[in-house]
Amino acid sequence: MLDLFDKIQESVAFIRSKWTEQPKAGIILGTGLGPLVEKIDIDVAIEYSEIPHFLKSTATSHRGRLVCGRLNGLPIVAMEGRHHLYEGYSLKDITLPVRVFKALGADLLVVSNACGGMNPYYECGDIMLIEDHINLLGDNPLIGINDDRLGPRFPDMCEPYTRTLIDRALTVARKNDIVAHKGVFVAVAGPNLETRAEYRFLRTIGADVVGMSTVPEVIVAVHSGMRVVGFSVITDMCLADSLKPAVVEEIIAHANKAEPKLTALVMGVLDGER
Amino acid sequence: MSGNDQISSPKTAAEWISARWPHRPRFGVVLGTGAGEVANAIQVEQEFAYQEIPTFPTSTAVGHAGKLICGELCGQKIIAMKGRFHLYEGYSVETTTIGIRVMHQLGVKKLFISNAAGGINPNFESGDIMIIDSHVDLMFRADQSKGIWQLGRTFANQTDSAYDQEMAHQAMACARKNDFAIFRGVYVSMLGPNYETRSEYRFLKKIGGDTVGMSTVPEVAIASQMGMRVLALSVVTNVAKPDALEATSGDEVVAFADVAAPKLRLIIENAIREDVRR
Repeated sequence: MLDLFDKIQESVAFIRSKWTEQPKAGIILGTGLGPLVEKIDIDVAIEYSEIPHFLKSTATSHRGRLVCGRLNGLPIVAMEGRHHLYEGYSLKDITLPVRVFKALGADLLVVSNACGGMNPYYECGDIMLIEDHINLLGDNPLIGINDDRLGPRFPDMCEPYTRTLIDRALTVARKNDIVAHKGVFVAVAGPNLETRAEYRFLRTIGADVVGMSTVPEVIVAVHSGMRVVGFSVITDMCLADSLKPAVVEEIIAHANKAEPKLTALVMGVLDGER
Repeated sequence: MSGNDQISSPKTAAEWISARWPHRPRFGVVLGTGAGEVANAIQVEQEFAYQEIPTFPTSTAVGHAGKLICGELCGQKIIAMKGRFHLYEGYSVETTTIGIRVMHQLGVKKLFISNAAGGINPNFESGDIMIIDSHVDLMFRADQSKGIWQLGRTFANQTDSAYDQEMAHQAMACARKNDFAIFRGVYVSMLGPNYETRSEYRFLKKIGGDTVGMSTVPEVAIASQMGMRVLALSVVTNVAKPDALEATSGDEVVAFADVAAPKLRLIIENAIREDVRR
């Protein structure tokens, strides 16, 4: 991990050459959740391919640019499109943007994803505040010699998702009559969706939803000392005993439909950051 | 991903050590966090910093100045690793287990391994010792083990037990005689380096884990596959209470490891004496 420090500086220097404000938060937008960007007063949008050390985005419906601007007047940076382990990238490279957020001055990470719902009380289009996670990726972004300038060797994980922010988001949800849950996200490498037996396994070990992202970024945010709030949008239901084939188009349609709710919750959380 | 690795050959390293310490030790020890007292009990004849030993990785990680101690314990030749290599440092399985493979080359037949571990079993208290009876490998690195297990059987024989039953019973008898608590249980190995989330603790408990740590399993897998008899001990440094939020502090881990150190020493010395007796 000793090469990261210089890489972060180079990425930051490049972004700073185009945008000089200090963001309060960094936002990562998952599958189908890009439209939140329309709410941002964009100062500058930079393609990932231009930013030193940023990866290109290859996943479906992930656009691949860094948006710098203001959301409701609050300076933020947002990643429109993220990277996944299943694309063949290393977790160290995938999570570099989070470290860049921190270096730009953001102390809050807002992360979102589209996920499969395993808790039978959830429905497609619902939003779940991530209360905790289980890492079954088989990998970790902090592997390597630790750079103490970036964070501790053994980060504690007793509260990776900031409780006060979860509560704030749930309050906003109630006020706006939005169905929002609080639950456990399990990350698997993918890219295949899970078998019925795997869904039963993941449910048994305590997870409410399953996805292929988010956990690496959150681990790095915790390592960096950032607060984290995570939103899972349930885009398909994964009930092992009544499983139907997942259709990517339907998943994206559900994500798009839920997106205004997500936007409301994200704006609500950020309102409290003023 | 790693970028922190180099090709490691046990033969070259073993020859280098033999040239400086011409003995065939029967016993080997891997000393985890807090097992310093065992190292102090050894009558040292030779000491080698890992950096000196050919093909050993030159660890640049802060606070990981490891060394190989060669000497006698209870009148028997022994070789001890003070400080070990972890997968979370970016080393491959091959490099992580270099010490075990070197010990095998040097003639070690019985291996003691200790680790500092988080307690998942709520019956445990900080400072307790658990004899590892079996493990659950959640490190996701078994693929890397291919090709380096050339020294013995092709597949590790973990169907019976990689952990020696007789040595386990000797350790329990030792604990009874010396009036301290000891448990047997299942060690879960994780990649790390972050500590577990509450949900992960609950998961590990559900699948049968009693302690959790970031080491030992690659070492045991290689040792067992090379036919060594293994006694592996977890020092419980903090008992995870997933339903009562509490941060793990590094200082606490070290403090409780210190409480356990004299017990580890008694168990290892007893095992050596029992071995000599027969």
